[in-house]
Amino acid sequence: MTASTSFLPPGLLEHLGGLEVIAKTVVRGFQAGIHRSPLRGAGEDFAKHRDYQQGDDVRYLDWKLYARTDRLYVREFEERSNLQAYLVVDASASMGYAGEGGIAKLRYAGYVAAALAHLMIGAGDAVGLAAFGAEPRLLLGPRARKGHLHDLLLGLERLEAGGPGGVADVLDRVGVAMRRGGRAIIVSDLLEDDGGAALVAAAGRLRARGDEVIVMRVLTPEESGEAAPDAGLFYDPEHPSRQVPATPRQDPGYARRVAAYYDSLADRLRQRGVEYVPLTTAQPVEQALVAWVNRRRG
Amino acid sequence: MITFGTPAFLLAGALAALVPLALHLIRRRPPARAPLPTERFLAPNPRTSVRVSRPTDPLLLALRMLLLFLAGAAFARPAWLPDARGASEIVLLDRGAAMASGDGALQAVAVARQRLLGADGEPRGELVLFDTAAVRVPRRRVSPALFDSLAAAPAFASPARYAAALRAIPGAARELRGADSVRVTLVTRPRWSGWSDGIAPLRRAVWPGAIDLVAVTEAGGVDSAITDTVAAAKQALYLADPRDRATQYPAAALGAVGWTVTVVAPGQPLPPAGAGLIVIGSPLPSEMAREVVVRAERGATLLVDAGAISSIDPLPWAKAARTDSVAGAIWFDDGLQLSGAAARVLGGRSRGAAVIAAWDDGQPAAVARRMGRGCVVVVGTALGRGEMVMEGTYPRALGRLARGCESTETAGADAPLDAGARAVRRGAGPAMAAARAVTAPGGGTALGRWVMAAALLVAAAETFFAYRRNRPA
Repeated sequence: MTASTSFLPPGLLEHLGGLEVIAKTVVRGFQAGIHRSPLRGAGEDFAKHRDYQQGDDVRYLDWKLYARTDRLYVREFEERSNLQAYLVVDASASMGYAGEGGIAKLRYAGYVAAALAHLMIGAGDAVGLAAFGAEPRLLLGPRARKGHLHDLLLGLERLEAGGPGGVADVLDRVGVAMRRGGRAIIVSDLLEDDGGAALVAAAGRLRARGDEVIVMRVLTPEESGEAAPDAGLFYDPEHPSRQVPATPRQDPGYARRVAAYYDSLADRLRQRGVEYVPLTTAQPVEQALVAWVNRRRG
Repeated sequence: MITFGTPAFLLAGALAALVPLALHLIRRRPPARAPLPTERFLAPNPRTSVRVSRPTDPLLLALRMLLLFLAGAAFARPAWLPDARGASEIVLLDRGAAMASGDGALQAVAVARQRLLGADGEPRGELVLFDTAAVRVPRRRVSPALFDSLAAAPAFASPARYAAALRAIPGAARELRGADSVRVTLVTRPRWSGWSDGIAPLRRAVWPGAIDLVAVTEAGGVDSAITDTVAAAKQALYLADPRDRATQYPAAALGAVGWTVTVVAPGQPLPPAGAGLIVIGSPLPSEMAREVVVRAERGATLLVDAGAISSIDPLPWAKAARTDSVAGAIWFDDGLQLSGAAARVLGGRSRGAAVIAAWDDGQPAAVARRMGRGCVVVVGTALGRGEMVMEGTYPRALGRLARGCESTETAGADAPLDAGARAVRRGAGPAMAAARAVTAPGGGTALGRWVMAAALLVAAAETFFAYRRNRPA
């Protein structure tokens, strides 16, 4: 099975057909794309009228308005541009957790990233890949050509869970490597040792640059508390020496504490203009993405 | 067929095998270590020991259960019994000194051969050779050659002890428990005296059924069937009231075994001499009594009913007669049994008399003694009363009494038929005892050591797998 069929099976592609991940920010790209650009030019979407100035292209003079007002105006159009995006995939040890009979979070994150890459490259966006686990790594720079999708999928295929993670470092690197007005999509379980403070700060810095930041949180039902495990001596894969005897299934506070953590994190991210998308591995990838894209369209 | 000497251990082993399972399911153990990335949100709960709902290591559990079951099975003394359906035989062959005279030993061996070897020469049971001690010959070794060697062997010098033969019965019987039924046959030249009284309880203990006695006679013949052989009709006088019903039954019974009976009322003149048997059923006038005594001294046999004991003198009957309503069964010296006597007259044999029949408790029921050329027999019960007249053996019993001193002479006229002899000869149970009724444990090919070896192998396997399971990775 090739990387493309592994992460982008025909069933998933069928559901993704026609979807567009439109940027919510204004994008200053070099190529034509689907995103709004700050530049006015030869677009199709009318932006505004302005007074004619010497040197303006007379093709854009609005003659009808001249007839009514006896003044010369030129019509300006919004340009559509492409953007640079980074898919930042969490490959820390905790992402190797699969729950009982389920799919590992890293695998699920791979599906999500592959689907997003497919959508964005299809829309002309340049997509790169970064990961963090044992260490933060910028695996592939952003490219918009179609053949780049295969490289992305291979990169996703080679990811292995391990290490303590830490998303802030890799986001800072992405901020350096990516052109302003880009997009960073983080696919992670967001289980940060500092409670997500570094993540929120790093995402805020990207937002300050004008980048669009989307955080997709991936959890298993066991972790979220929907199907909490029975009694056990539990340990965090990122801190295996630490173990806790517990009975999560009998502990109603467990799901509450998990939800409170992510709600708090989501609030802080939203305060910084970061889009927060909660996903669980029990939900099919195509359903989750279609629902998310439709929500973005409003 | 597999049999167990002590099946209770098998049950105990089966129950013990359930113990590991119960312990496994009952015990609470620490929970398994499991990853959970959201561990930080867990509330520590020290009481997380969980009850094991299903075996965590089925192989080890199965080995432990098997080990305990095999140990129990080994202690249950398992044995393999060869398939021997149908009837099997145990022949107790007397090899004592008494068999040496005449060709008794040869005849006894022939009887044993006929009982133990089928037409195809296949053994049907076990042979026990005994004199003062018994030697059991397993069925697999019973063969025509064995009997040939026995027939050629010299006579033993030691007297036979029946107790030794009896003690060998359980050992032989438990080898034959695969059969449907087992018959025990004692081939001997019976001694009617000198038996130990202790044989009676021993005989009851060793065998639940009857012991078929094949008596080898002095002349070398075999008298295995207890029959009354009457060559020709004989004349008998019955001295009693002909109108009394108690007279009619004995007269008819004697007629059934070949006697031509003439009933003469007491006081009436006796027919001319010629009657070989004179039955005195009621008290006689003194003149008539003297006449019958004279006829007895000339060769006739007097059979004196309990009701006429006072009429004849001298009688081989000691002590004052006393009637006991508890009668019971009468056992004759040839193995015949007659039950249903109405009452008995207690007493004992006088000096020189032989006991030819006894009650259940060993008290004499009939004694006989020579009187001139004839014989006088005293019976301690009324011959024509009670339910015994309806018994099938009644005519044969009267026939035996009519033979008088006949058989006591061959066995020693002065020898009593003691309790031990009666115990052996008495058919206290069925002729063929069900093989399953043999209570003696063991027998067959012992499998206990092999089962124990299997248990040790299982224990070794359990140790190996337990070590592998607990070995640090």
